[in-house]
Amino acid sequence: MRKNLFIIIGILCASAVFANGQYEKVMGKNIPAMFTAETPEALQNVINQLNRVGEAEGDRWEPYYYAAFGYIRMSDMHEGGEDKDKYLDLALETLEKADLIKPEDSELVALRGYVHMMRVVVDPATRGMKYSGMAFASFQKAVELNPKNPRAHYLLARMQYGTARFMGNGDGGACETLARAKELFTSEQSNNPISPSWGNESNNEAIAYICQQKEGE
Amino acid sequence: MRSVIYLIAFYIVSTSFAQQTIAGRVTDKSEEPLLGVNVYLKGTYDGATTDINGNFSFTTYEEDSLVLVASFIGFHEVNLSLADNNKLLEISMREKVSELNAVVITAGAFHASEEGKREVLKPLDIVTTAGATADVPGALNTLPGTQTVGETGRLFVRGGDGRETKTFIDGMLVHNEYSPSAPNTPGRSRFSPFMFKGMSFSTGGYSAEYGQALSSALIMQSKDIAENTRTDVSLMSVGVDILTTRAFDKSSFAGKVQYTNLTPYFKLVDQKFRWDKAPEEYNANLAYRVKTSSTGMLKFYTNASKSDMELYESDIANPEIEFPVRVQNEYAHFNASYRELVGEKWGVKAGTSFTKSQDFASLDAESRDQGLLGFHGKIVTDYQHSDRLAILTGAELIQRDVEQELKDETGAFQQVFKEQLTAAFLEMEWFASSSLGFKAGMRAEHNTLTNQGKITPRLSAAYRTGDKSQVSLAYGQFYQAPGMQIILNHPEASPEKATHYIANYQWLGEGQSFRVEAYEKRYEQLVRYDQIFDPSTYAFNGKGFARGVDLFWRDNKSFKNTDYWVSYSYLDTEREYQDYPGSFTPTFASQHNFSFVVKKMVDEIKSQVGFTYAFASGRTYDDPNENGFLVGKTPVYHDLSLNISYLYSNQVIIHALVNNVLGVKNIFGYEFSDTPDDNGVYAGRPVTLPAPRFIFVGVFITLSKNKGINQLPNL
Repeated sequence: MRKNLFIIIGILCASAVFANGQYEKVMGKNIPAMFTAETPEALQNVINQLNRVGEAEGDRWEPYYYAAFGYIRMSDMHEGGEDKDKYLDLALETLEKADLIKPEDSELVALRGYVHMMRVVVDPATRGMKYSGMAFASFQKAVELNPKNPRAHYLLARMQYGTARFMGNGDGGACETLARAKELFTSEQSNNPISPSWGNESNNEAIAYICQQKEGE
Repeated sequence: MRSVIYLIAFYIVSTSFAQQTIAGRVTDKSEEPLLGVNVYLKGTYDGATTDINGNFSFTTYEEDSLVLVASFIGFHEVNLSLADNNKLLEISMREKVSELNAVVITAGAFHASEEGKREVLKPLDIVTTAGATADVPGALNTLPGTQTVGETGRLFVRGGDGRETKTFIDGMLVHNEYSPSAPNTPGRSRFSPFMFKGMSFSTGGYSAEYGQALSSALIMQSKDIAENTRTDVSLMSVGVDILTTRAFDKSSFAGKVQYTNLTPYFKLVDQKFRWDKAPEEYNANLAYRVKTSSTGMLKFYTNASKSDMELYESDIANPEIEFPVRVQNEYAHFNASYRELVGEKWGVKAGTSFTKSQDFASLDAESRDQGLLGFHGKIVTDYQHSDRLAILTGAELIQRDVEQELKDETGAFQQVFKEQLTAAFLEMEWFASSSLGFKAGMRAEHNTLTNQGKITPRLSAAYRTGDKSQVSLAYGQFYQAPGMQIILNHPEASPEKATHYIANYQWLGEGQSFRVEAYEKRYEQLVRYDQIFDPSTYAFNGKGFARGVDLFWRDNKSFKNTDYWVSYSYLDTEREYQDYPGSFTPTFASQHNFSFVVKKMVDEIKSQVGFTYAFASGRTYDDPNENGFLVGKTPVYHDLSLNISYLYSNQVIIHALVNNVLGVKNIFGYEFSDTPDDNGVYAGRPVTLPAPRFIFVGVFITLSKNKGINQLPNL
């Protein structure tokens, strides 16, 4: 009896490993592809694949997280305000699917803030107020939910810098936040290759661009 | 042995056969290939994305009961059960008609919203327009279809009187939407533009949901839940206000108190009138919003104000004789609205509003004290049958209890009426495709005072003629109860009627827009009388017309950091109504109206500067010294206004504006004394503003945890 049970558990584990293996393999291929796709066609291809994985899995938030990120990049690849908005709408829709699976998650809230931040770009004069407020609120909430999330700090810093530059004074505390983000990036444990780990390079670039330039002045 | 190898080979081959290729092509209904469609087997990772020719191909090991899904933004998803064959699949997808791609019926309406992608205006434009002094009607008066009637500050639309424009907030009718003002001085809307996330200013042909407005409906949507907790303090040359906003997880609260007093201003800037008590107003606003579910929203709004002013007006014939004028008002408005989605297809909106207003005005010994108690209850359902067909139905009850006391040396005279208007409406919106849409509506109204029922049709259509251009048409019939004094004198007075015909062409490019609209409006059943206070002289057979062309061009692309718009309206109108002895152009109508609005962000001085130039041709007036009725014509109207918002720091903004910088003495008409002098001449004087210029300076401070927030977008 005991032996049988052992065998059953063994089989279950094996099939789980097999299923995980496929998930991780496909995600492992598509995550970098999402970040590196250079044309809207290539990017749409990756987003579609991620959406397929998300739908087939049903209880994984990561495919939707990266698909949403893909839509943010897609929005960035388009010029017209209407197109940009369309993809940002899709990013939010996709994030909502992820939210249902993992509510109140720091990474998801931070990415939501990223979408709001990109909205500002479409029409800074009219939208600045509303969406920069929403972006700030999201980044602050993401930091609250997980103070160790380096991406939340990095994005918050971008918002701080952008606002300060619009006002024409200082860095708005961006360098302090970027430094904190740098610490967190360095100490970030990547035990799961699929969970979000992007941002370190951009963070260093931002430090080089904003903070070191300032010191040099 | 050989056969064993055969057998093994067979198995190998057959397992590889179990991997099948699924390929095909995806097009839209007009056979155009679709690029980027996600084609996949339901519940699996297997799938592909269509290429530029709409082709896709992928392999799968899946075998049992396969369902192929084709999914693409803006199109209905296609689900296909796959049979066992390898033939190429031809998939045809049907476009979804969505807010994003559907043609919009624009005839008669200017829409403004923060979110809207194809809108000509943003709510922010209202507040940043020079000359508008952050007043909603003030800004809308720079749009085509409006006539400058500078002494009232109200919206006069396409040959319509000011009272022919009605204001709705979250679907609810607002009574007495203007703050009281001294005679021949512009009044302001009671509602701050900062409260709204969107508005639709209709200059005709509007939805069956709205009634009791012959010319125009101003439909405003209040903001949803606030995102940030903040406190705003405004120190202004005319008063102070404090607004505090608290944002919670699923609700937000905003409270504002405002005190306005023009005494110091009038001491500095010379006024035509002698003031005993410069306008003083206390105003309080509260707004509370709760998200009742992921799709439900409950909003409360209340506004209370009290104002008082006292001045002296001189006699027309003997300017040294002065009469005291007093204007007092107490006002309270409460508005609650709720919206929710029920299932996938139904939406419900319900609302109620109460208004209590007490208006007192006196000239020497004559006075008028008018009290109004208004109620409005409304329920609207929205049924989305498909992406192409939607049906809006609703019912409402609008009640007005008005009592008025007129007093002079000889005694007092009371008048009252209680009016109950019930209405029901039905409107269908149908899209033949994303390029062709129709709207047909019907509104039925019953009024207890007249015991009359009216049924009015509304029709409109829009057709997309190109990527950026479209034409639309609108037709509608509208009824409105006559003016307050007419009903008080004669409660059975039947409503007045207008019929609108509108044709519109619109071109919307990235950062540029153009529209032209032609219209014809016919008035019927207008009230006529010999003496307004003698109902026995009333007749309800007056008529009139208004026709014209409106042009609008806006561009925020051609010049860096600069946004400008140009409006022109041509109007030809006549009426045979009131005590007119025939058909004449009314005194509030001007044939040509033009405005030019410019806003520019000047980074070097961290400021936004704006100017507005407005022009209107002369208006008629009646001169009792002349033979003939309404033969006088005022000089043309010019106004050049400037404003500047300077960003002192993240949280402090300084705003200044000057209206009518050039100090042009604009004349809106002439008034004459009731009796001729010894030589048989009626003494007259021009109607002008109490001071040619208006100057305003304010400091706006925002206190918030979030350092990025300031009041700039509010200015």
